[in-house]
Amino acid sequence: MLYCSFRLLLFLCYLTGTALSQSDAKIAGTVVDRNGNSIIGANVFLVDSYDGATSFEGGRFSFSTALQGEQILRVTFLGYEDTELPVNLNGDSLNLHITLAVGALELDQVVITAGSFAAGGEKRREVLQPLDIVTTAGATADLAGVFNTLPGTQAVGEEGRLFVRGGEGREAKTFIDGMLVQNFYSPAAPNTPSRSRFLPFMFSGASFSTGGYSAEYGQALSSALVLHSKPVANQNRLDISLMSVGVDAAFTKAWDASSLSGKLQYTNIDPYFSLINQDIDWIDPPTSYEGSFAYRKKMGTSGILKLFGNGNHSSFSLNRYSLDEPGQPIWTDLRNNYAYFNATLHDELAGGWIYRAGTSLTYNHDRIGLNQDEVDQPELGFHGKFTLQKRISAELELKTGTEYFLTDFQQTLRDAGEGEVFSAGFTDHLPAFFAEADLHLSAKLLARVGLRSEYYSLSRDWHVAPRASLAYKTGGNSQISAAIGRYQQAPATEQRLHAPTLRPEKATHYILNYQIMREGRTFRIETYHKDYDDLIKYQSPREGSPSMHTNAGSGFARGIDLFWRDNRTIKNVDYWFSYSFLDTRRDYRDFPEAAVPSFASRHNFSIVYKQFVPTIKSQIGATFRYASGRPYHDPNEPGFQNRQTKAYQDLSFNLSYLISQNMILHASATNVLGRNNIFGREFASRPDEEGIYASRAIRQPARRFLFLGLFITLSKDQVLNQLPNL
Amino acid sequence: MKAFCITLGLLAITFMSFRTPSGYLEIMQENIQQLYEAQAIEELQSVVNAFTRIAQAEQKEWHPLYYAAFGNIMMSSRAEATSVKDQYLDQAEELVKQANERVEKESELKALEGFVQMMRVAVDPAGRGPQYSGLATQTLSRAVQMDPKNPRALTLLAQMEMGTARFFGSEPAEACAKLDKAIALFGNDQPEHPLDPAWGLESARAAKQQCP
Repeated sequence: MLYCSFRLLLFLCYLTGTALSQSDAKIAGTVVDRNGNSIIGANVFLVDSYDGATSFEGGRFSFSTALQGEQILRVTFLGYEDTELPVNLNGDSLNLHITLAVGALELDQVVITAGSFAAGGEKRREVLQPLDIVTTAGATADLAGVFNTLPGTQAVGEEGRLFVRGGEGREAKTFIDGMLVQNFYSPAAPNTPSRSRFLPFMFSGASFSTGGYSAEYGQALSSALVLHSKPVANQNRLDISLMSVGVDAAFTKAWDASSLSGKLQYTNIDPYFSLINQDIDWIDPPTSYEGSFAYRKKMGTSGILKLFGNGNHSSFSLNRYSLDEPGQPIWTDLRNNYAYFNATLHDELAGGWIYRAGTSLTYNHDRIGLNQDEVDQPELGFHGKFTLQKRISAELELKTGTEYFLTDFQQTLRDAGEGEVFSAGFTDHLPAFFAEADLHLSAKLLARVGLRSEYYSLSRDWHVAPRASLAYKTGGNSQISAAIGRYQQAPATEQRLHAPTLRPEKATHYILNYQIMREGRTFRIETYHKDYDDLIKYQSPREGSPSMHTNAGSGFARGIDLFWRDNRTIKNVDYWFSYSFLDTRRDYRDFPEAAVPSFASRHNFSIVYKQFVPTIKSQIGATFRYASGRPYHDPNEPGFQNRQTKAYQDLSFNLSYLISQNMILHASATNVLGRNNIFGREFASRPDEEGIYASRAIRQPARRFLFLGLFITLSKDQVLNQLPNL
Repeated sequence: MKAFCITLGLLAITFMSFRTPSGYLEIMQENIQQLYEAQAIEELQSVVNAFTRIAQAEQKEWHPLYYAAFGNIMMSSRAEATSVKDQYLDQAEELVKQANERVEKESELKALEGFVQMMRVAVDPAGRGPQYSGLATQTLSRAVQMDPKNPRALTLLAQMEMGTARFFGSEPAEACAKLDKAIALFGNDQPEHPLDPAWGLESARAAKQQCP
């Protein structure tokens, strides 16, 4: 009996002893960030056990454990890097002081904003959202149209493409998932804005940079528009659009880990032109057939494969009238075939490296008929790219990559009588390497240094472009950024055709930026200076081709950009305001001296206003754009670039009405005030008998553009609509 | 002596059971109770952390991840700043994704995924409505398809449908029928598993108030 009790007692003592020793092994301490501020809410625990606690006031935590020996203590908190440390549990209490480093996705992390506007990824704090592309009046659902309402761009109404900070249209390049797109814009009739070939619905986000961009992007002197295509789709749907300018149909089929989308589109503007008189002697107004597809597949746990293809045939013909022989129409016929293919694959590798591999292929073929002559211009572009990146530590992130660009351009001029009269072409190979490091010097200070090196096969030389930027957080919502860098780009195709060995054109950007973003409101101011050198100069005789091409040109652009956006002050109202001041001169092409080029206007501003009106289930919008006069050269007057046009003004409206859950009616009108905008003047190449050069204004073929469309979406539950896509 | 032994034994056992609620089920139930009662973000964070700890120790169980995700949604609804709300929702989305790797086609997880999308709309209805409301409705319909007797999926779907009906000025009859069905289901909701979720009746009743 006693013996029995003794054994029981021993057993119980053993049990209680264990229980007591459990309470003895206490782990306590504090969790702080790098600046010594305590972190409340951090999860502190022993890996593979339930034992742990949450840090409270003062970052303090405390818990007990029954575990013994070598264990791993893990500390996690949203926005910070997970931290692990080995602990040896031998019954003694531990007192630990843990410091957490800011994670890659910290909420108020400092980011480099100099020169760039981020759009999309609708969750993050960004300046634009994907929907803005559709609902901005005057943008006519065109990608370039909406970016043209941001500061740093100039209104060049007869072109429609992006002109950034005193740079020509060709200095702004577009990248889809990191891959270069050649011939981003569709061909357009004279003085009619061209549209980008890619529909906004393909993209989930974009970053529009007006300077100072990363070493990853080359062959762009002034601007990089970086578009991110959508991920794997998760819904089956069919979209049908009936528009005043054509029809299209799109489908999406979604599987577990992949999706396929396709779109067919037919555009014919003839019925519209028969209603709205155009100041163009059309023979065949523009028509186009287009097909595109997108395939997405998840590979393994972290990889994703994206394929995209797009093919287009478009044509138009018209009579043009030269000022030299006003009575003689010049029959002009343009046929364009275009194909673009893009494939990218990215995945994680062992050791935390992430790779991205991509290739893009662009084929563009123009056939232009001019009376009896025919110009035949096939162009092939290839871009291959491989990048590796890794976050080495909380302080250092590395990105490195190699690229290869191929451009093959041929031009043949044929005459009906004489056959081939001129033929030229070039093939350019351009390998490039880049490396870039992000240094998180403190929670408030981020530095990025990068280097890009390119080899130009035609001029047979290497060109190195160093770039650096810095961002400093001045408050919870505000920061200052600065950037400096060298940028280079191969000369324009038509110039390389005449002089293939020209060196690249170069620019140096200096940018200083301040930005403050608070719940629904954004203000930014940016000032910049840009020096151009090695610009192409040539001599342009009255007759015949330009000659004597050199890299002797130069120029500069400087200015201030302002931006304000507010979608909070008034309910259901969102508006933004942009102003750009530009001072630029360049001595390039056949300029006799440094002068302001014809595409540059000194003051640009735009106001975009959007209001959702719940009572009529509609979103209405208005955009006003103003650009001060642009210079042009009048040979009847002394001097160069001696005259200036009147200011450009455009007030546009749009309306999107939700008829039912899956049906939207969209209407828009540009230039509702009917202002006669003059973009410049063109002059005869020879003076008439009285010694005067005849001239005429370059203007819009029609003052307004009206658009009406009905967008229908068929999905299983009839709950989707095209509003996010339009 | 015998009495002493027994008393000591009982004491020890009581003490131990008080010290260490040993089993997975008990600890989960205790935390679920705390989660349903928690109000402030700090309390929610603390219990979310507990679920996260259990989730990493019990690599096969989906319930801890489910409740951690649910806790994040609750924190998001209590946060002030848009960006903070989104961060909690991002976290919830990620936790649901991880939970889906532990269990096949679970209606409750699908419903939570739809709940996250619904909350995204709530953050910025004008900006995100077009993008997320259709998506949320689709996800929640799928959750109902997976288990027509899931009252939470039905309630959330009815709430989405109600908003849409109000927008288009139509009668929320369908939504109200769903709410009636959901409330009835809540009444005889017999969980298959002791840790299955039990929340939602109050929201269903509150939504029902808006029915004619």
